[in-house]
Amino acid sequence: MSAITYAFEKKYTVSLFVVILSFVLFLAGCGDQTGKEQTDNQKEKEQTEQTTDSENVREITHAMGTTSIEGTPKRIVTLYQGATDVAVALGVKPVGAVESWVEQPMYNYLKDDLEGTSIVGEETQPNLEEIAKLKPDLIIASKLRHEKIYDQLSQIAPTVTHDTVFKFKETVELMGEAMNEEDKADKLLADWDHRVADFNTKISSKLGKEWPIEASVLNFRADHSRIYVSGYAGDILDELGFVRSAYQQEEMEKGTVVLKLTDKESIPSMNADVLFYFLSDPGQENAVQNTYEDWTNHPLWKNLDAVKNDQVYQIDEVAWNMAGGIRSANNMLDQLYEHFDLEK
Amino acid sequence: MSKYISFRNRSGKLFFQFDKRAVGVFLGLGCLFILLFLAGLSLGSTFLHPIVVVKQLLGFGTGEHSFVIQTLRLPRMLLSLLVGAALGVAGLILQGIVRNPLGSPDIIGITGGASFAAVVFIAYFAETVGMNWLPFVSILGAGVVSILIYFLAWKKGISSYRLILVGIGMSSIMGALTTMMLVFGNAYTTQQAYVWLTGSVYGASWESVFAMLPWVLLLIPLTLLFAKTANALALGDSVAAGLGVNVQLNRFCLLFISVALAGSAVAYAGGIGFVGLMAPHISRMLVGQSFGSLVPISAITGGLIVMLADIVARTAFLPLDLPAGVFVSGIGAPFFIYLLYRNRNV
Repeated sequence: MSAITYAFEKKYTVSLFVVILSFVLFLAGCGDQTGKEQTDNQKEKEQTEQTTDSENVREITHAMGTTSIEGTPKRIVTLYQGATDVAVALGVKPVGAVESWVEQPMYNYLKDDLEGTSIVGEETQPNLEEIAKLKPDLIIASKLRHEKIYDQLSQIAPTVTHDTVFKFKETVELMGEAMNEEDKADKLLADWDHRVADFNTKISSKLGKEWPIEASVLNFRADHSRIYVSGYAGDILDELGFVRSAYQQEEMEKGTVVLKLTDKESIPSMNADVLFYFLSDPGQENAVQNTYEDWTNHPLWKNLDAVKNDQVYQIDEVAWNMAGGIRSANNMLDQLYEHFDLEK
Repeated sequence: MSKYISFRNRSGKLFFQFDKRAVGVFLGLGCLFILLFLAGLSLGSTFLHPIVVVKQLLGFGTGEHSFVIQTLRLPRMLLSLLVGAALGVAGLILQGIVRNPLGSPDIIGITGGASFAAVVFIAYFAETVGMNWLPFVSILGAGVVSILIYFLAWKKGISSYRLILVGIGMSSIMGALTTMMLVFGNAYTTQQAYVWLTGSVYGASWESVFAMLPWVLLLIPLTLLFAKTANALALGDSVAAGLGVNVQLNRFCLLFISVALAGSAVAYAGGIGFVGLMAPHISRMLVGQSFGSLVPISAITGGLIVMLADIVARTAFLPLDLPAGVFVSGIGAPFFIYLLYRNRNV
């Protein structure tokens, strides 16, 4: 039976066990540090290389450090949805972009502008080889999604990162700087501010004393429902002058982005003067439809202010939640003008 | 002709004996490994001719492909190998000490503990302290849960049945806590947690290869030193005690090695399941029951499974690069059912 037998005297075995064990722990401790030192060295090297030709080099400080970018990048790869949207808004068609969450490979509102753009995998796991193959000169990534691969991305091309994926204005600023299109970026943001002010004047004159009203953004899923307290749509509504219910305001101040509700008893926390809802969970449309019907037929739902006053609107999830860019923000605003019957 | 090749030093204190069949199988798997390794380095978004790959590896490359081969594909292949080997041996040890063919790190809660720790970390701490700490945290999770299982199962010593029952219970608790974290967690970070839970060697860097390497290089040979006692333990606690084995001490040491191997694998590749279950069973079909032969064979089989899964995951649906764990589970789940079916009369 016995095949490979290793015989040691027993006293050696146990002491050897202890020695090797301590060595393993020692090495494991060292492992992390050497890793960090290496990357530090790399960064230093990069910096010294770049100081040699300082002509037209811009230093961009971002979520994961400082990156030098030379001239105006032409071949851009965008690794999150908002970045793809903003690149198009800045008038640059990315050579590579990640697949969209729904309407794959690209959201319908961007399809025409992105003809010929290569898909480089999913936002959560973009394909590094595909990116390298495109030979980009700038990569726009998100620290939230791509922290682990930042070093590898930086070896492909200068990479700038944004902390998260849904703060579209910061994305515009960062990309304007990185792409050497600051004027266009400023213009986009100024136009946006202008539209926000316009919406605010029109809606307050229409609703009069009732304004500002409370709004909730709801999402029905296959097995639960959500309230988007802040995040992309929440931030935009906030900026437009809508307010949150006291409960949702409290949650927002605690740092909550999304409230997940698993029980219909929490329907009252959705309460607001106006409800915006969208249905999602790709591939589970029937289950989502069931959740929606279950929840909206519940007596508590019928008790919500917005439901009583018939102020419940289904909205487009791409513009309100999935896209996270500035063009989608404008689409969202267009829809709001329509819902409240305001003149653009 | 003897079935074995033996080595013994003069004093007789050091003694090795190799089963010729195991050596043959090992060499066979080694050839398979080399083929798969070259295939893995050649395949990808751009196909590179294997000769180009070999040239590059030997240092005669043109430099044109050095980024793709040396920075992207090579560390990823090596990490797959290390992770698979660690999980294979961890599963082998567990199946030996719980004397149950269904024993594996993901079934008795070790992987579950690491996953829970990792998800908590991703949800609450990753943003402030950085993802670099993730491996450390998940090893810690695996360790804490294993200690908990060990003490809960302790009743004047550890019996295999108690260990596996407590382990399965702990695994469910950890699963429930992980789900709870995913429900409560921020929607943007849970997406990252899902990818981690599926298990992936994506984005492997040389740092992670070098951090993983010592665990495998030291713990797997260390396992071999316990081959004799593990063989005795396989006969049952009372028989092993009768043969002069300190059952509790040896079982503790073996369990410790298994946890360390599984914990480090999970730390660098996330919740890849089923490898710890499949690799030892495939190895037993190849070389029989002896623990000493099973260790190297399980290691290489485990490595081959993860490597193959990752090659498929990153090339089958181009341009998408999918988590390898999806494909391991794809083969693993039917294999698990097959095991249950085969053992139905036991």
